[in-house]
Amino acid sequence: MARELAILIALCVLFQVCAVAVARNSEDERAVKDFHDRVVRYVAAHKVQHTAVKPSDSGVKLSRQERQAAREIQQSRAAAKQGDIFTPRISAYFRKQLAATLHGPEGAKIRTSLRSAEPLPNIHLRVNEKYPPDLPLQSTPPTLLLNLPRLPQELEYRIVGQTLVLYEPGPNLIVDLLPNAIPKH
Amino acid sequence: MPFQNTNVKANRRRLVLVATACLLWISVTSYSVAIAMEQKSSTVVGHEESGKDQAANAGSVHVTLPLQKGSLRFAVIGDSGTGDRDQLQVAGQMEAYRRVTNFDFVIMLGDNIYGNHSPGDFEKKFAEPYKPLLDAGVKFYASLGNHDDPRKEPLYKPFNMGGKRYYSFSKGDTEFFALDSNYMDPKQLDWVGQNLRNSHATWKICFFHHPLYNDGRHHGPDRDLRSQLLPLFQRYGVNVVFSGHEHVYERMKLEDNIDYFVLGNSGKLMKHDFRGPGERVKGFDEDRTFMIVEIAGDKMYFQVISRTGETVDSGTLPRSSTNPDK
Repeated sequence: MARELAILIALCVLFQVCAVAVARNSEDERAVKDFHDRVVRYVAAHKVQHTAVKPSDSGVKLSRQERQAAREIQQSRAAAKQGDIFTPRISAYFRKQLAATLHGPEGAKIRTSLRSAEPLPNIHLRVNEKYPPDLPLQSTPPTLLLNLPRLPQELEYRIVGQTLVLYEPGPNLIVDLLPNAIPKH
Repeated sequence: MPFQNTNVKANRRRLVLVATACLLWISVTSYSVAIAMEQKSSTVVGHEESGKDQAANAGSVHVTLPLQKGSLRFAVIGDSGTGDRDQLQVAGQMEAYRRVTNFDFVIMLGDNIYGNHSPGDFEKKFAEPYKPLLDAGVKFYASLGNHDDPRKEPLYKPFNMGGKRYYSFSKGDTEFFALDSNYMDPKQLDWVGQNLRNSHATWKICFFHHPLYNDGRHHGPDRDLRSQLLPLFQRYGVNVVFSGHEHVYERMKLEDNIDYFVLGNSGKLMKHDFRGPGERVKGFDEDRTFMIVEIAGDKMYFQVISRTGETVDSGTLPRSSTNPDK
């Protein structure tokens, strides 16, 4: 009788663990889907500006095109604020994913790559503003990119200090920011 | 007395005649020796005409390349776009060497334009320094560095990137793959794998900014990038990899049969940057450089030239990789 009771308790614990894992997975899936939908909506809303930039042999023309695209996007998102895309649920997912990658077997390599980047002065980035045009962009380690949700070609993930930046290279704009995304150790 | 004067005059005339004959003989002999030596050696020696352009200051040109008929010749620069005097001097040497070697394109290893990217910067840091080369029809193929503008530069026509961050182009039996090592996302990794696999080129050359290997103190190798790219390079038979970023010149031959060059000092320089003997076969961190490459059949010849015209490295590399999974 005692043996049967023990088996029953063990089975209950197992079911409980599985239920928590399934719930976590579906929570992650919901966060990724939500992120994907928000990003797709952002890109679709600015399709015109993305296609307006054309190749040229004139630096003047390229600068003019970039300024115009940036101005139009900035005006259309005048009320944009930090967290529009990185909502609390999405932020939690990204922080968890980044921590797992950086503490995983590839973590040391990724940290070495991040450390070897060009040192940047203390910069304060804001959503819907330009990335400082005279400063270098830090490269994003490829293994980190493999562990984050894929982005449409118009957008990129960039890292500035501890912050994960959702960046649009075309008009050189900060789409959203996730502070404290990269764990210090 | 008049008799003595006549004698002295005759002696002087004889002396002048003998001296002139001697000088003539020395000139002719030196000229013949010089010609003979030039024919014997594979080195081509030229001299720049004095002109108005930067090449006027370039001085003598000593080419160690064989300059074989029908060979592919190109130049390599990295971390060049400072717009300062050193970049101009390297550009002057490039033009002087182009006149002798006739390289017809240049690959750029990133950091093509430092700092701001205003219209004036494109002129000052690229179009003006390389004007003699551009005027001579030399094409430039750029890859992006961390100081480059990933939106404007791919659209800047003289960089021949076709509006793309990464792309490939072929010259004869050689295919070049210009990669964006700033942002090696899964999409680009897929592209690299597919395009290397589908390439039937005899020589596969990859160039991008961040080096997979280097002995520099300033940045060091990008180990994470290496972990993603190297398996593809080995699987699909890449022969040579050119990178910049570290402001030195370095050549490495590792056990994977790929030849690695780091050339990040065509404008910027990090003096005395090497730590220890490291993995390099040859390194140079004393001055700015550029490189000329000649590919003929299964051999690649290279010559690295400093800002002052000194040859700091040269040699021949056999095509060692065998495209195992082609």
